[in-house]
Amino acid sequence: MTASPSAVESRLDTRYAAETPEGIALWLRPAGIVPRLYAYLVDIAIRFVFYSISFLFLALLGTFGEGLALVLFFLLEWLYPVAFELSSGAATPGKRMLGLTVVMDSGLPITPAASLTRNLLRAADFLPSLYAFGLISMLFRHDFKRLGDLAAGTLVVHAPRTEFLLGTPPPALARAPAVPLTARAQAAVVAWAGRVTRLTDARADELAEIAVPVVAPRAMGGDRVAALVGVAHWLLGRR
Amino acid sequence: MTPLQFEAQHVAAWQELEAALAPASRKRKSAPADRARVAALYRAACEHLAMAESRSYPVWLIERLEALTSRGHQLIYRQADFGIDKLRRLFAVDFPRAVRAHRLQVLIALAAFAGPLLVVGVLSYFDPSLILSLQDASSVEQYEGMYGDPDGPIGRRNAASDWGMFGFYIRNNIGVAFQCFAGGLFFGIGSLFAVAFNAVQIGSTAGYLTWRGFGANFYPFVITHGAFELTGIVLAGAAGLILGHALLVPGRRSRLAALEHAARGAIVIVYGMTAMFAIAAVLEAFWSSARWVPASVKIGVGAACWVAVIAYFFFQGRPRGGPAGAP
Repeated sequence: MTASPSAVESRLDTRYAAETPEGIALWLRPAGIVPRLYAYLVDIAIRFVFYSISFLFLALLGTFGEGLALVLFFLLEWLYPVAFELSSGAATPGKRMLGLTVVMDSGLPITPAASLTRNLLRAADFLPSLYAFGLISMLFRHDFKRLGDLAAGTLVVHAPRTEFLLGTPPPALARAPAVPLTARAQAAVVAWAGRVTRLTDARADELAEIAVPVVAPRAMGGDRVAALVGVAHWLLGRR
Repeated sequence: MTPLQFEAQHVAAWQELEAALAPASRKRKSAPADRARVAALYRAACEHLAMAESRSYPVWLIERLEALTSRGHQLIYRQADFGIDKLRRLFAVDFPRAVRAHRLQVLIALAAFAGPLLVVGVLSYFDPSLILSLQDASSVEQYEGMYGDPDGPIGRRNAASDWGMFGFYIRNNIGVAFQCFAGGLFFGIGSLFAVAFNAVQIGSTAGYLTWRGFGANFYPFVITHGAFELTGIVLAGAAGLILGHALLVPGRRSRLAALEHAARGAIVIVYGMTAMFAIAAVLEAFWSSARWVPASVKIGVGAACWVAVIAYFFFQGRPRGGPAGAP
């Protein structure tokens, strides 16, 4: 965010920024084939179970039930994803289970027209069989759009996380750095301190060894990790 | 300002926004004042995110604000695209207007439908054995049973199976129409094929039954729902052709951008055509097959439906005081 990503990074990284009218970047992380396949299988299973159970009851109603079963089958086949994508989670139960959600490629919430477009064009993605065209389209694209997504301008993304890998640093005695640090260096020290609890002691120490000689040279002999965490606390404002 | 001061100063506002975005509080209807408050909180959070990024604040702060703003963005920019008003406008204005706006594609689809229909219809009338090369023998046998009953005007079936047939028409016909639309993604070829294929089926059936002398049973049966179903097939093909046309002749846009743009127009026709198939399914299941309605009444109602459908596409939704022909 602070430094512009290098050319290689931008080729490797599939996430991209959609700018909002408020002038901030929404980071969209398009979901690849595997989570979408799992979500699809979950949805198939849900529909199958629902359809089998309701068919048992509708079978009791004779031809009337047969008609209702066909209408139900039609609705489940074509409009099941549309109904769920327009509900508040913007995802079918399968996608929700995998933490996916459907948005417009501008980052906006999905519109009814776009949802219907992408789900009706499933029929084209399915051809020649087993979603072959959809898979080919997804493999060729950076943002994993299938044909329906291309026409509708939609994107299946990993939902924004609500729990984060980077926590606050563990408690330690705050200490001022020996030299003034640039904004990037400050950010690096604080980010490291946030990860310390998830690192092994040896790895944390190994990383601390890079920064401590500059940041807190007097702590070189002692507990380097605690010293650097202390600097992070100082940088965060505990003085 | 240190990150901790920043967080302490604004955390109350973030928590308020987080609470407002929680699924539980989104369920109940919010008052306009609440909504204005959420919008203000959201804009403030956007501002905080921009500041946090430019000041290289710790990642947990930035990620929290990113999550908060992206969830707020999803809520605030959600379109209220449903509702009776939208629906009324769709059928009063948007749908017929979209059909007129894409008259080229509609005419091509019409030609792809009417051409094979007439040619195959006339051919099967003069050479009834042709139907056996186009459809399998068991369905021909079925037509004999359906329309060959000399007793009733339409010897179709008992009333109990009306619902069964209704379900079949919904599932089968609308499903085929959706596939016909999707086929347009392959440069329109899929749509053209689907339209022509249906035309050949219908044409051969009509030609054969006319030759057999069952016309008096067949035509009163099909005329009413045909007004919606046959137009529906043509419009499904046209919606697909809009996509295909955008891919073939993208104009000044890139092919992808042209496709996206075209899909927005085509989907309006898909809405309308789905409704037409639903009407056709109701008519076909409960009206066309009704034995108690005399054939002459069915012909009359059917003709009225045809006139209404055609007039709808020509005149409905034009601006008042517009070009000649407006109501």
